[in-house]
Amino acid sequence: MKESLMDILCDPLDKSDLDLEVDERDGDEIIEGRLIGSVTGEVYPIEDGIPNLLPPDMRDDE
Amino acid sequence: MDESTETPVKRTYDRIAEHFASTRAYPWPEVTAFLRPDAGDAVSRLDADATDALAGGAAPVVTRSTRDAGGPSSVGLDVGCGNGRHAESLSAVVGRVVGADVSAELLATARQRGENRRTDPRPHLLQADAASLPVCSDAVDVAVYVATLHHLRPRSRRVASLSELSRVLAPDGRALVSAWATAHDRFDADSGFDTTVPWTLPGGESVPRFYHIYDPTEFAADIRDSGLVVVGTAVSSGNCYAVVEPGE
Repeated sequence: MKESLMDILCDPLDKSDLDLEVDERDGDEIIEGRLIGSVTGEVYPIEDGIPNLLPPDMRDDE
Repeated sequence: MDESTETPVKRTYDRIAEHFASTRAYPWPEVTAFLRPDAGDAVSRLDADATDALAGGAAPVVTRSTRDAGGPSSVGLDVGCGNGRHAESLSAVVGRVVGADVSAELLATARQRGENRRTDPRPHLLQADAASLPVCSDAVDVAVYVATLHHLRPRSRRVASLSELSRVLAPDGRALVSAWATAHDRFDADSGFDTTVPWTLPGGESVPRFYHIYDPTEFAADIRDSGLVVVGTAVSSGNCYAVVEPGE
């Protein structure tokens, strides 16, 4: 995902802001990292460039 | 309850993503009529009433957005983007496109399509639930939510997803919503119902998909109950359509 997308993303649970933590980037593209709910503390992984912003109860168990 | 009817839509589409995506090359003419009513041949096979109902809502979106009509900061959202064919259509009318889908495997096909076709702007892809969108309120100028609503269950989640659409739309924003209709050739019913429609993979394996088939009156009622305001409706090619704007 592009870092510039942060201005329109929010926590799916309570619509509060997300904080971005980057492990790997390629220019302005975030490849690996996580989005963290600033209020809920929920961690949403960014894997292979795509953030998984599903509510925690809809995530894969695998 | 039969296990097949309980398969989450996410798992279903992760399973069939590659084959499903390969069979979905072109945007629906109804979506093109909504986004680009002047597209000529792409919408010419629609009947005139449907074209009027769909286009009447959308043409203004792109030209009247108070923020940035079609410019670099305008935002398009495709909820249930699948292989990205309609996100690609949004790229023609807005500066930034977000494609959201519950299935990571479908998102992978959307990314590949964007790369292969050099879609510009390239859609931003998110794995997300239609009933709890991770998108800020009032952030979206134009949205499409097509052929996705009917996969959610029960009704409360479908209505919740429509309320989410209302929340994310900017005050001048518009969206196109569609779902399979009882008017479709394969059904013989006058009122809405839940069913399972299999997807057959090339090897012959059948993967069940949940659908709620809408009758047009029920479709409009669910939209109104969500807080969205209906601007126009149509039944075309066996689908219910509504052009909507956000509620107060």
